[in-house]
Amino acid sequence: MRQIRAEIGAVSKADGSAIFEMGNTKVIAAVYGPREVQNRSQQMSDQTLVRCEYSMANFSTGDRMRKPKGGDRRSTEISLVIRQTMEACILTHLMPRSQIDIYVQVLQADGGTRSACINAATLAFADAGIPMRDLVTSCSAGYLHSTPLGI
Amino acid sequence: MVGLSLGEQHFIQGGIAQDLRCDGRKRLTYRPIHVETGVIPQANGSARIRIGATEVIASVKAELGKPSLSQPDKGKVFIYIDCSSTAEPAFEGRGGEELSAELSTALHCCLLGAKSGAGAGIDRTSLVVVEGKICWDLYIDGLVVSSDGNLLDALGAAIKAALSNTGIPSVKVTAGAASDEQPEVDISDEEFLQFDTSGVPVIITLTKVGREYIVDATPEEESQMSSAISISVNKKGHICGITKRGGAGLDPSVILDMVSVAQYVSGKLMNKLDSEIASAEAEDES
Repeated sequence: MRQIRAEIGAVSKADGSAIFEMGNTKVIAAVYGPREVQNRSQQMSDQTLVRCEYSMANFSTGDRMRKPKGGDRRSTEISLVIRQTMEACILTHLMPRSQIDIYVQVLQADGGTRSACINAATLAFADAGIPMRDLVTSCSAGYLHSTPLGI
Repeated sequence: MVGLSLGEQHFIQGGIAQDLRCDGRKRLTYRPIHVETGVIPQANGSARIRIGATEVIASVKAELGKPSLSQPDKGKVFIYIDCSSTAEPAFEGRGGEELSAELSTALHCCLLGAKSGAGAGIDRTSLVVVEGKICWDLYIDGLVVSSDGNLLDALGAAIKAALSNTGIPSVKVTAGAASDEQPEVDISDEEFLQFDTSGVPVIITLTKVGREYIVDATPEEESQMSSAISISVNKKGHICGITKRGGAGLDPSVILDMVSVAQYVSGKLMNKLDSEIASAEAEDES
């Protein structure tokens, strides 16, 4: 596994935030909440609403890219994955009729951004003091010529 | 941001009138500025700047391109600003687009001058490789990570720091190509030319609250402003660009007064930034 570095409280305005580095991949996550639900139609009376947005900075990859913000299919998919993961580990029934937003921004992408995002999100939730069942960690693995590798 | 009560509004306005702001600063004092360079290794140059709780990252990427037909002896510079949703929940999805566009336009006006390139803070003639055929395109990307007021000044300073950190690879053009053909180029991986940033201006935003001006306003102070002017001043004390925001009209004499205040403040800010950038670069090398 690559070298790991983490920093908590990077964004002072957010309720909780963290920067997570895995090798050259660097990701910043910020949590805002629990707060009042913005969209009344989505409010749930028995649990909290968890929302997530994943985006990559223009300079994050080797070749500069211009991505449509919020419309990219890969970003939508990863946002969904992070949201479902965190929703499973937060004690959502303790905060009904409220909303928790998690925003993840990739500053440098060098493989394993999904895992780095989930790790950063966990740290940000811990920094925000949101009750969780346990800390969620993530790592991607693959095979190279029938040898399993951790990324 | 939570709204301010009437008492809080009067407190802010009264404090500014007496040269004592809510955090103890004087009207023309900046919050502590921290600079880090070389934060994005894949870019040609990058910097991360923190002014108080406002944090921005700027990166400069250079790619080879063709100069425009109207200006064959100049390279091209593009400035894009992105407001990350980590800074404000309101920036989620397309919420931050309006502010990003406003900041990009203001930075364009302050740093790049007129369409012909005259009066620009960034010298584009140094970016040309083969006149009329090949030039460097500089893509300057700014990302607002945390927003606590005074975004324009922070972005201007970050771009200045990123440009001082920028190394443009040296290019060898193979001689003997026909005049109408695209010449072959060999981009060196080893040699880099440091970009010349002595002419790059700093941006000072003066916010008018009541009858006084303050620099480096926090969001609470910005909510009490009648109007704000952002002025970019270079080392020689010349004005490179002016942008006005806010609904209230200003008498021209007030604007001239604000310009002279900005020139006075810019001297101190320029020195502070240069020393911070130099120490950040020294730390980067060690």
